[in-house]
Amino acid sequence: MKIPIIFVLLMLLSSVSGCILNDEMMETAHSPNSGSCEGAPIGHNDDGKLRIITYDINAISDEMINQFTNQSGYQVEIIRTEDAGGILEQMLQTKNAQQADLMIGLDNSYLQSAIDNCLLQYQHTNVENVSDGALSHYDGDFAVPFDQGYVCINYDENFVDGENVTIPTSLWNFTEQQWNGKVTFPSPITSSPGRSFMISTIDYFENDEDNSTDAFDWWRDMKNNGAIFTSGWTESYETHYTGGYGEWTEGHIGDAAMTISYCHSPGVEAYYSSNWTHSTSLMLPKTSFHQVEYAGIINGAANVIAANQFIEYLLSTEINTQMPEANLMYSVLNDTDLPETAGYRYHSDIPTQPCAITNDRISQEMDLWLSKWIVEVEY
Amino acid sequence: MNNFVIEKRYFNYAKSLIGVSAVTIFAIISFAPLFFAIERLQMVTGVSVISAMSTFADRPANLDSLTFTLVEASISAIATVLIGLPIAWHLARSEWKHVRLVRALLAVPFVTPAIVAAMGFLALISEGGILWSIGIDLRLETGFIGTISDTFGWQHPGHFIALILAHAWFNLSLVIRFVEPPLATFDPRWEEQLSLLPGGNSRINRLRNLWIPFIGPAVFCAAAMTFLFSFTSFALVKWLTPFSETMESSMANMGGAAGIMGYRVDASLVILSTSAIQFLILMLTLILITVLQRRNNSRVSMISENVARHNRGKLSKVGIGTIVFGIIFTLAPMISIFIASFRIRSSIGNGQFTERYSFDAWVAAWQGDLSYVSASEALANSLTYAIVTLLISLPLGWILSSTIHSLEKSNNMKLAKFVDVMSMLPLAISAVMVGLGILLGILRYNSSLFGFFLLPVLPHVMLTTPFVVRIMTPAMRAIDPVFEQQAKLLNLNPFRIWWHSRLSFLRGPAIVAASLTLAFSLGEFGASWILVRTGSWDTLSILVDQLMSRPKFDPMVQPVAMATASMLMILTFILFVIAERFRPKGDGGGI
Repeated sequence: MKIPIIFVLLMLLSSVSGCILNDEMMETAHSPNSGSCEGAPIGHNDDGKLRIITYDINAISDEMINQFTNQSGYQVEIIRTEDAGGILEQMLQTKNAQQADLMIGLDNSYLQSAIDNCLLQYQHTNVENVSDGALSHYDGDFAVPFDQGYVCINYDENFVDGENVTIPTSLWNFTEQQWNGKVTFPSPITSSPGRSFMISTIDYFENDEDNSTDAFDWWRDMKNNGAIFTSGWTESYETHYTGGYGEWTEGHIGDAAMTISYCHSPGVEAYYSSNWTHSTSLMLPKTSFHQVEYAGIINGAANVIAANQFIEYLLSTEINTQMPEANLMYSVLNDTDLPETAGYRYHSDIPTQPCAITNDRISQEMDLWLSKWIVEVEY
Repeated sequence: MNNFVIEKRYFNYAKSLIGVSAVTIFAIISFAPLFFAIERLQMVTGVSVISAMSTFADRPANLDSLTFTLVEASISAIATVLIGLPIAWHLARSEWKHVRLVRALLAVPFVTPAIVAAMGFLALISEGGILWSIGIDLRLETGFIGTISDTFGWQHPGHFIALILAHAWFNLSLVIRFVEPPLATFDPRWEEQLSLLPGGNSRINRLRNLWIPFIGPAVFCAAAMTFLFSFTSFALVKWLTPFSETMESSMANMGGAAGIMGYRVDASLVILSTSAIQFLILMLTLILITVLQRRNNSRVSMISENVARHNRGKLSKVGIGTIVFGIIFTLAPMISIFIASFRIRSSIGNGQFTERYSFDAWVAAWQGDLSYVSASEALANSLTYAIVTLLISLPLGWILSSTIHSLEKSNNMKLAKFVDVMSMLPLAISAVMVGLGILLGILRYNSSLFGFFLLPVLPHVMLTTPFVVRIMTPAMRAIDPVFEQQAKLLNLNPFRIWWHSRLSFLRGPAIVAASLTLAFSLGEFGASWILVRTGSWDTLSILVDQLMSRPKFDPMVQPVAMATASMLMILTFILFVIAERFRPKGDGGGI
């Protein structure tokens, strides 16, 4: 009977141990800066290495890093998180002793939170070659875009054949019987594309003709219509979606004909399948989200010079124009596009009316939206 | 006082000091992270752990994960016994030529890294896999699995069955390890004699009066341990049941956002309440295991296995069939991974694909073409962590076992039990909880430790030391004190007495413990998944998951993941074969 005693002691000790922990030891999120951020303490020594925090991003290949090391003389160490949300969380966790110098991969649905929490510092990168579109969401000095793409609905053309199942003309169509159990979403709580799409639905329902319903009514109806929610993009696209490469992978289930991915995902499918795909994107106004991914120097970086050099390297024509093949995203440079090879560009739609919610609003209201989403979908 | 007495006294002082230090160090490394993690979560959520537990049921997803975890762990325990018992029975009661080899083969799954097992079962059940080929579609749930779903309104029975099979596969050796020794050392003449008595003249009577009392505790002990491991299953759940979450996977998914003041307080509350409830359940299971193991230990070793084996009958067809089934069941997922590592999809245009077989994925994995670290670098990391873990766990576990044994010998039974139970407690703290404990309890107070290369060793030590204790303690108890007395009569110094009367007898169990420590450390996934952030520290098991989690537009990604999993599998297999060579015959203690 010693184990219960140990457990009870543990519980009692933990409840009285507040005295040994103080507020200084606790970093706090959501303390929006009042306009200026003081320099944060450096969490590691400048040992000549450049430490980059990123998610498991394809863009940063071994080959690319070796090339940077050869050019600059800086060794690079990658600190990896699961996804863009993980980058923000890791930076918040280590706010008082940052472990990385450079952040790569926060997108515009997370960037403002990082800025509000003083996680990034000013940088002066020349963005002359960066397109206005890529700078449209944020053109300040805390971060620069390095790739972009549109998050949108993808569907399987074998299922939506125009006869038995018609192409949806409204998001409400997905709440109908024919879509019961056929839709899969990556969760906005844990997935960056999932979050981007949820933001789009806010904009969509704020601008539709029906003022009696909002996005969360739709999410509730989607849940009631058997929508499949997964923690990440991979599980939705690969395990459940019938239109993508998932059918060739171990563990594919293939029970959903619609998912959330990028508008150019069908192009990527075609690129790897000799110009063939039966996946396409749905071009409904306001249902797509222009996702821009950023690089920024962390407030508390030990090696600012190397971080700046890496950003310039990332934005160089040589590296950035490789984004479509290396990272399956668009380049942010002027006058660039997806390659025409194997139908990559041909099968990639570009939405004309994407979501127009600003970064500021996203930062201010995200917690509220997520709470509402949780209430409608999880309860 | 002569020199011998002085030497002995100093030796005993030193021994006591080392024992107390080991117990203290183990208690600190095991409980301090958890203690600080709970404290931090309480500060972030503003509620005590008791209040958090009372809010557990408010979130439907929590109840779903609790229900699913309890159901899958219970069914896994039952299924493991149902599959394992006939194998153990026939293995023990028939004369087998290569019984040690068969036993070793059947035990391999237990040390197979969970992520490898997950990949193996995915390959086994997916379209084109072995099970799918014989009409059992557990993944897409077509055919009779679909009929079961439609008839009973059971959502995703195929996925559930796949998980149960995977857990049974994983824990099969527990049933064999616990049940086979008492059966193998049981003299069949006793059964013959009992059958002449009224209480044993029918099969049912013999079952009631002989077999259930004799092997019942061992069966329940194995079932309870299977429940424990299935309850904390993470990698298998993550990959095999995409529609369901266990408490462990639920915590892993939300762990990253927990413990940050003012950020995702809901995540912190979920972690606090779930971990406390999971800890309570695991603790109760451990108590049950301890009680059952004590009963079981009193029933084994009734007679030497070698003597008993000579009394076995010929092999029966049923016996051969059962063992062959066991071997096929064991090998199928591993063979599936191996095959999948050579199979590469190629497009031939117009939506048509062909499959070619080549070593390309092995070459790409070794060179790291698709990942930040190559499989060779990940292998070096895995081995480094495993060796450092071994260097800490083995001496620590040895000293803890020795302390328990010394306390037992000096009749200090209560204290001995206390240390024994404490050494097992980390088993009640699942791998994910250990990882989160270190993340929330240490790293968020001292972020610079994120840059400490040997950080993953800490959870590995916490998770492997209990196994060392479980192997070494029974071995120490089994040493005949006569050897020590004889060594003393030779007037040897205390160190030489220890060397000749203990170390020489414990070499075998120590090698078993060392090999298992290396194997468990190599395959550890849950805690490493949470803690390993620096890309260049990736271990093989993390690399497999990382590759499998990335978009697979490129047809090489999946075969490379499978090739990496195969490398990990081969490495673990080699270590296990080494361990088996040194395992004493008829050994039923430990794992």
